[in-house]
Amino acid sequence: MSLLESAVRFTYLSLSIASVYILVAVGFSIAFGTLKFVNMAHGALYLFGAYIGLFVAFEYNVGGSLGAYSPVGLDLGFAAALILVPVVVFAIGLVMERLIANPFYERSLLDQLLVTFGILLILQEFVAILVGRGGFSYDRTGWATGTIPLPGIGTASRWRIYVIAFTIVLLAVLYAFYKYTDYGLAVRAGTEDAEMVQMLGIKISRPFALIFAIGAAYAGLGGILGGSLFTVHPEIGIEILIPALLVVVVGGVGSLTGTIVAGLLLGVTFTATTRVYPEMATASLFLLAIIILSIKPTGLFGKEEVTA
Amino acid sequence: MSEETAQQLTDTDAAILSWETWDRVKHTERFAIVAAVVFVALWSWLFARAPITSELGGYHSLATTILIWSVFAIGFNLLLGQTGLLSFGHAMFWGGGGYAAALVSLHVYGDPVLMLVVGTTFTLLLAALTGVIALRLHAVYFAIITLAMGQLLYYLATSPLRPITGGRNGLTGIQLEPIFGLVYLGMPLPGIFGTLWVNYEYLLVATVFVLVIAFVNRIRKSPYGLIFRAIRENEQRVSFVGLNVWRYKFAAFLMSGGIVGLGGSLMTIESQFAGLGSLYWITSGEVVIMTVLGGVGTLFGPVLGAVIFLYFEGVVDGFPIVGRYWLLMLATVFTAIVWKYPDGLWGMLKLIASRIRSSVEDNP
Repeated sequence: MSLLESAVRFTYLSLSIASVYILVAVGFSIAFGTLKFVNMAHGALYLFGAYIGLFVAFEYNVGGSLGAYSPVGLDLGFAAALILVPVVVFAIGLVMERLIANPFYERSLLDQLLVTFGILLILQEFVAILVGRGGFSYDRTGWATGTIPLPGIGTASRWRIYVIAFTIVLLAVLYAFYKYTDYGLAVRAGTEDAEMVQMLGIKISRPFALIFAIGAAYAGLGGILGGSLFTVHPEIGIEILIPALLVVVVGGVGSLTGTIVAGLLLGVTFTATTRVYPEMATASLFLLAIIILSIKPTGLFGKEEVTA
Repeated sequence: MSEETAQQLTDTDAAILSWETWDRVKHTERFAIVAAVVFVALWSWLFARAPITSELGGYHSLATTILIWSVFAIGFNLLLGQTGLLSFGHAMFWGGGGYAAALVSLHVYGDPVLMLVVGTTFTLLLAALTGVIALRLHAVYFAIITLAMGQLLYYLATSPLRPITGGRNGLTGIQLEPIFGLVYLGMPLPGIFGTLWVNYEYLLVATVFVLVIAFVNRIRKSPYGLIFRAIRENEQRVSFVGLNVWRYKFAAFLMSGGIVGLGGSLMTIESQFAGLGSLYWITSGEVVIMTVLGGVGTLFGPVLGAVIFLYFEGVVDGFPIVGRYWLLMLATVFTAIVWKYPDGLWGMLKLIASRIRSSVEDNP
């Protein structure tokens, strides 16, 4: 492999990992920064995304309680899953905002963190009981596999390139939503002073629910994209939550730019360490977070001191 | 002590079993210690061998393990309950103490007391090092940096430090020497003591448990502990009255880490093994669940939490049919408790007790 080819390979590997981190982290960061709600159950949305995608796209023989009805799944194909998953997880996000987040907006950060952690565990166990603790992997169809030839350099994994492109589009959409729509304006204003916005006659709870559900849909998409890059098992919700949390705090809570920069930073670090010292790949993320937070306790783009 | 004599004087004219006496006694420091002693004296017997209660499926080694985890939860609660700092990385003290104790017994000498001292000292150093960095952060940032530190230590123990820690295999072959050169911990106790406490090891664990309860209770009742709680309520105000907030937080972090390390070393003595699981962040999560389930900020709440958690994990897990749902059940109970009773099961019991009492007092 030429130097150029390995450089290209390194780039798309780290960018595709960063994409998954960012997609999951962005919703968490929005909920935390805008709604002041710490949602550990965000990991469950990733988990749902991965599993719903799996069973929409394919049919599988499962363990657990549904084992008797094997094979389970709609077998609609991977493209259908990519469209259906965000819609379904968006709806789940709306329900979650109403049922779980809403009663807890006024409670302490600690209560929020603990309750949603408990809910994450419940949902994870629920999935494990339904379909078993065994792992699955996506077998992607033709258009999402193989390689793209890069003239003069070599080849690149087609699916990883798609994942990166997809993420860039999604982030651009989110940014546009924030910057150019009335709903986005209401959310931004609500972040500054929710009470004032309400006094101006704007029903703030609706844009808040919307932005929460958008964050959820992104995590669901992260689930299907991450699920197709890594493996799918009931603990992935908790497992993805850790790098996502690191991305959020390293970037600075509530900052979209911060989340993206931190996601890229962590993605690059992860890929680099994987090449040099694979056993310490995950550890390098923690080390990076410790170093950055020791230098700047509010994260790279965090503005104010967050106190509880 | 003047408090004591006053108590004795009033005791003579008040009825021995009145609410007034109870109210006065239950808040004394000595009461908590006596309660702890009575508890550990009967605990193993009630849990594992008493005629009716042991039908629930408890066994002696689980009783010992529960006491050790209780020490862990009490130590954790000293930080969370008193100063309001949620650490998601306390496994580093639990596992760190465990590994330090294992290493000293493997390479130096296996006296249990030496292991406890070394384990605790090591975690105090670790807490000093990590505290300096972590305590600059607040709330969620603090939770995440402690998580990161714990996980970093876990991965360090997994791979680069494998020659010392034994990597994934952990440290086995720990030989315990007689305590102070007198008696082996595994020796059975004679007669009625054997029925109650089985062996010397339980005695050691029980002693540590009572000492930790006494220590934490002392902190809670002292003006020093009051400042911890003031920091929890409003950090800024505490700094406005001229107190050095950071110093108090650091002290709480050290004490908490030290107690957890003590528990971790006890665990190594009990299991004669130190493994990576003790450093993993799931362990930190478990202690959070125990403490919150039992009751944050209460003295005996974490003990109750540890009992319930380990009972589910160790006994309910083996039940037919419902066994595989143990974590689901536990998580549901946990969520419901945090949702409805932020003071935990202990707080819930207190509430029920006070309701019963007021209804009794209203209709004599």
